Amino acid sequence: MLGRTIFIDPGRCIGCQACVSACRECDSHRGKSMIHLDYPDEGHTVASLPTVCMHCEDPVAPCAEVCPAEAILITADGVVQEADPTRCIGCANCVNACPFGVPKIDLEAKLQMKCNLCYDRTSYGLAPMCATVCPTGALFYGTVEELQAERPGVDVSTMFAFGDTVVSTGVAMVVPGERRTPVPGGMLNLIEVNGRPTPGNGARA
Amino acid sequence: MSHEHVPLDPSVAPLGTRNFRDAGGLPAAAWRADQTEQTLVPTHCCFCGVQCGMYLRVNAQGKVFGVEPRNHDINRMRLCPKGINAYQQVNHPDRLTAPLMRRSRDEPFREVGWEEALDFTVAEINRIQAESGRDAFGMLGGASLFSEKTYLVGKFARVALKTRHVDYNGRLCMVSAAGANKLAFGIDRAGNPFSDILQTQCLLIAGSNVGECFPVMTQYVWGARDRGATLIVVDPRETAVARTADIHVALKSGTDSAFFNAVLHVIVEEGLTDEVFLAEHTTGWAEVKAAVKAYPPSRAAEICGVPAEQIVQVARVFGTADRAMAWHARGIEHHTQGVENCLTVINLCTATGNLGRPGAGYGTITGQGNGQGGREHGQKSDLLPGGRSINDPVHRRQVAAIWGIEESELPQAGTSMMEMVWQMQRGEIRGLIGVCNNPFVSLPNYAVVKDGYDKLEFHAQFDFFLSETAANAHVVFPVTTWAEDEGVMANAEARVVKHNKAQEPPEGVRTDTWVMCEIARRLGQGSKFAFEGSKDVFDELRRASAGTVIDYYGITYERLEETGGIAWPCPSLDHPGTPRLFEGGRTSHPDGKVHMQVVEWHPPADPYSDEYPMTLTTGRTVAHFLSGNQTRRLGGLVEQTPRPWVEVHPSHGFRNGEPVRVVTRRGSEVLPALVTEAIRPDHVFVPYHWPYPVAANVLTVDALDPRSKIPEYKVCAVRIERAEAIDPVPAPPVPPGREAYPEAQVSRTDPLPPTSPQGRGTAERG
Amino acid sequence: MAGTAPPPQGRPIGDSQVEGGAPGVVASTTRTTAVRASLIAGAASVLLVVAIVLGSRLLRDFDSALVPYAVATVFLTFGVVYRYVVWVSAPAARRMFVQGWKAALSWENLKRSPAALPKMIATYLGFQKFLGARSHARWAAHQLIFWGCLLAAAITFPLTWGWFTFTSASAAGPGYEMRLWGLRLFGFDSGSFLGWALYHGLDLAAVMVIGGAGYFLWRRMRDRAATTGQRFGYDFLPLLALITISVTGLLLTFSEMFLHGGGYEFLAILHMASVVLTLVYLPFGKFFHIVQRPAAVGMQLFKYTARRKGSDDQELQACKRCGQPIDTVAAVDNLRATMRDLKLGFDEWAEYCPRCKRVLRGTAYLSNVKRGFK
Ligand code: HEM
Ligand code: SF4
Ligand code: SF4
Ligand code: SF4
Repeated sequence: MLGRTIFIDPGRCIGCQACVSACRECDSHRGKSMIHLDYPDEGHTVASLPTVCMHCEDPVAPCAEVCPAEAILITADGVVQEADPTRCIGCANCVNACPFGVPKIDLEAKLQMKCNLCYDRTSYGLAPMCATVCPTGALFYGTVEELQAERPGVDVSTMFAFGDTVVSTGVAMVVPGERRTPVPGGMLNLIEVNGRPTPGNGARA
Repeated sequence: MSHEHVPLDPSVAPLGTRNFRDAGGLPAAAWRADQTEQTLVPTHCCFCGVQCGMYLRVNAQGKVFGVEPRNHDINRMRLCPKGINAYQQVNHPDRLTAPLMRRSRDEPFREVGWEEALDFTVAEINRIQAESGRDAFGMLGGASLFSEKTYLVGKFARVALKTRHVDYNGRLCMVSAAGANKLAFGIDRAGNPFSDILQTQCLLIAGSNVGECFPVMTQYVWGARDRGATLIVVDPRETAVARTADIHVALKSGTDSAFFNAVLHVIVEEGLTDEVFLAEHTTGWAEVKAAVKAYPPSRAAEICGVPAEQIVQVARVFGTADRAMAWHARGIEHHTQGVENCLTVINLCTATGNLGRPGAGYGTITGQGNGQGGREHGQKSDLLPGGRSINDPVHRRQVAAIWGIEESELPQAGTSMMEMVWQMQRGEIRGLIGVCNNPFVSLPNYAVVKDGYDKLEFHAQFDFFLSETAANAHVVFPVTTWAEDEGVMANAEARVVKHNKAQEPPEGVRTDTWVMCEIARRLGQGSKFAFEGSKDVFDELRRASAGTVIDYYGITYERLEETGGIAWPCPSLDHPGTPRLFEGGRTSHPDGKVHMQVVEWHPPADPYSDEYPMTLTTGRTVAHFLSGNQTRRLGGLVEQTPRPWVEVHPSHGFRNGEPVRVVTRRGSEVLPALVTEAIRPDHVFVPYHWPYPVAANVLTVDALDPRSKIPEYKVCAVRIERAEAIDPVPAPPVPPGREAYPEAQVSRTDPLPPTSPQGRGTAERG
Repeated sequence: MAGTAPPPQGRPIGDSQVEGGAPGVVASTTRTTAVRASLIAGAASVLLVVAIVLGSRLLRDFDSALVPYAVATVFLTFGVVYRYVVWVSAPAARRMFVQGWKAALSWENLKRSPAALPKMIATYLGFQKFLGARSHARWAAHQLIFWGCLLAAAITFPLTWGWFTFTSASAAGPGYEMRLWGLRLFGFDSGSFLGWALYHGLDLAAVMVIGGAGYFLWRRMRDRAATTGQRFGYDFLPLLALITISVTGLLLTFSEMFLHGGGYEFLAILHMASVVLTLVYLPFGKFFHIVQRPAAVGMQLFKYTARRKGSDDQELQACKRCGQPIDTVAAVDNLRATMRDLKLGFDEWAEYCPRCKRVLRGTAYLSNVKRGFK
């Protein structure tokens, strides 16, 4: 099934943002960082979550489907590319349709940009910048077998539940060995975690 | 209805998706990635003691323009955000490119030629030493210098300046561990290489925010856990490594020795000691055993503010593991009993027989890139090259012979960095040369430091950016960055690694080596400083260290380039180096034993009172390094963490981002609150990378450990109050007529604290 | 990554649209769309032929040497219209198309902000200000290509269709007159500046295009941002085509002026071949953006007018969790409808900003999957 791809394990992430700086060094979009690093448990713990494009496979790239300008192309190896600069009209449909919250958009340049798995590197067999530098292996590039050889007992999931819809992806997340259900994509009406109200970070007072 | 508020363009998009302000960094044009020729120069990161390997990308014009991960076996391509952004310093617009000079602090700096700056400096040295004696002129070095340069700082002070007053900023960093190591083992370095961590069953990390301060070392910590190790973290804050640890001991700052004594107490009680090891390889165990008897978990629980059961649990997990390891850093070292804290950890490892084996051992994690190498070769007030003592007549004779001077000419031991500042206040030290340090940010009790430096009649500083300290000097010499010269550093494992020169220095910039040699020549000591470059210095250093505990003789540039690093001692050219110490239980003391030391806990120096009821602890954040003179100028890092904050527990009723006045007996400042449950309710935390008026060290106490003279950064008494407005973060200093590179400073004025201590999430401020 | 039925590399434009969802449905819609598109495109082509015949006064003004060019424009029309119809039939483009035209044609809007549409056309289509935000050089180069091509098309298309004619006013003199559809527009002197400009207009256009396309070509070899994933057919061919057309065109002038027509015939054929191929290729590759870009104006006008209706509080969609604005309410509604068309069952998520989506997912992972290391 899965070939060489990124495996994300937020549990190991230390939130250092090396990936954010490294992404900026990637030659295909030098100076601009595409990866997201959030601190979802703000106020409670220092937990952190890196987000790269999941390269959705089924449905194939919702971002591309909602693009009115046919700007987002998918290469034969399943990599969902960033918007073609000649076509993108900067409408932000992709930004708001992506269930994982991935694409960025430069409103002045009328151009969407997003993680393309460091296509300039991966197409030559190098690992993407973020997964190369990640000091913790929270972002790991390789095959499932390579991952499991280093981390006995872990499994991976490419299924994410958004309400009743399950999105399957080309990039995987690490899950405990026994887990079989899709990873929740988020619970819109989640009000408590571990008996605490969910963090209202950034909420307008 | 007319809605003129609506511009034709741009339209709206969600926060964090709509622009790329985080590009920051270099002049925008330099970010374009042209497909021109590039050369990859293998080197290491200039920042922390992990010393990650990296390649610098050099373009066809010979300029450093980027970084590429390098598969060096220390870091296996990993880098932290500091390392990734490090290259941007090299051709940064804020670089100093001409000497700055003024005759009095009332005047502004003016750019002058090298001749004028050197002449003035030498004249001032001669004047002050003639008027007030040789020791009235001091020298302060730094541990981010290559080892060659640290060697040169020591030699320059003693041979050219002929002063006893030389010390360095490692005094603020490592010296407690160094003192403890010397006492217990007779050798000052970590006992095991990082790779040993992968084989341990129980890893204890005390007072180290590994995830932020030594990020790339985390791979070893996680690697050990992947292989089944239990992780114990001792830290008042729930840091990134503490968050997921199997046991997190959130003790009160300043109570480490009580905690470790109690752990040892339980280990003794439960019969988990390694009596065979103790009998064969130690002295002083009976005394230590008797002393820890007085620390039952119930007592320690009270002192440390942790449950007694947790102490028992730690003791059992650590004591029953076949291979256990303890690593510590500044958290237990920055105390008036820093040396003793380290000794309690050493006692714990020794009593359980966890020394000198793969997966079993003890280490301290050096903070600065050359924190290890910087303390080895004589820039410390009481040490000579090869870790020799300046008080030992034999050692003095050896070094005098190598340097070609009379033993009687060699000055006696000087004083520590903080003590030197007190001496400046008293007028005992009237002139100073500082190299590679920024005490205005990094020394405790800013008011005292400022006063001391202000009293200097003459002050010269070497740096490549104008630091806050340099901005207060009379002369500033523009010197090279690490990428413009070659040299070696020793990382936290005492592995010596080679940094290579990636580009020529900018016009007008000289190496520290050249400047020191040139001043020495003008002081009439040229013949003893006839060094062409680092390699010459290194060859002298090798010879000077031959036969000592810290033996570099077998290490050459060629060998380092071939091997990727050699751990000292390495006495001969065919010696493979010594990655692991204490194999077979042998230490470097003449009797080969571990000298265990009795430790009694005592409270921190700054007493609590009704006025100052809480504990202030200080430390680092992942995006910045030490005094921030380098990292506060790099756009990506400023973007990640633009300003300092005060971390408080929600129980104090502050809301996130509210201005909070932090008051100690030394001073006060207003910072935005980062409200989080990840800190003890009775503690507040302030990171220290920023200058006055938002410097953590405005608040800290200049109390020193009597043995190591390390300041007590990690604990002082504090209170917090509501305030009106936060103190602004000043821009990093630049010479008159220039402006700190604005693109890198965009987010500095953000009034809010970061989302989490590691920084702002990428999508929060537009 | 082995995708589920990954689409082939370097696919022609637009097919990223039809993946996923329910394949059967998509396939049948594609077929009906194709038929409809063919019909409309056929009609448009016929219309053009009629216009040519009428405009050239029943082929009296038609220059038979230009027949291949004229035929190419007919094919071009067919191709462009066909591609256009297929494109705007896909759910996302259709909805944006409808919204754009609604905004453009609304009397209400026209009354309230009459300047908005012309201003947007000038900035997004004419001067392409947004390109400056990508890089000033790219903006300048594209402006050269754009105005160069526009100038060339304005001169050549009417000529090939026989709409423009130049006739000498008298048998011998330097006086010329220019006629459109047979009607005299103005007369001019061949030695005058206007005469020179008209005569050399194409040369000027060629120089502009060579400058712009040359820069882009250079960039495509040097800038790693441009080279990543670039494809010959999609990225290089258009530039090479433009340069070939312009260079052969210039050489024609050169041959006429300095070589007394040496090699003229060969060059003329080469030039014609490159133009014809480019025109026929235009609807299918990168050049299709010329037809597609006006969508940017429609989109912008749609958002602009939606936002002008009321205060930001009413007209901007606030993230349901953090309250920060996401986009105009109308744009979010339009997107959600698009997502429902496409049977993407998570359109509710569009009411949350991307960061909150990530934070929600992070929180769910922490509480449901794995809190920490194990
Ligand atoms: C309707 C007006 C037009 C608009 C709004 C427009 C817009 C664009 C945009 C946004 C790009 C991407 C540029 C970049 O990001 O570097 C582009 C590229 C390009 N345009 Fe246009 N364009 C228009 C008309 C034309 C015309 C008339 C031509 C001439 C045939 C043309 C030829 C090109 C070419 C060759 C490129 C590719 C450059 C490359 O290699 O990257 N465009 N256009
Ligand atoms: S994660 Fe988002 S951006 Fe990536 S392919 Fe899926 S929908 Fe597109
Ligand atoms: S912003 Fe660009 S890529 Fe995204 S949907 Fe709109 S046109 Fe497509
Ligand atoms: S961990 Fe230390 S040595 Fe490694 S990149 Fe970061 S600062 Fe540099």
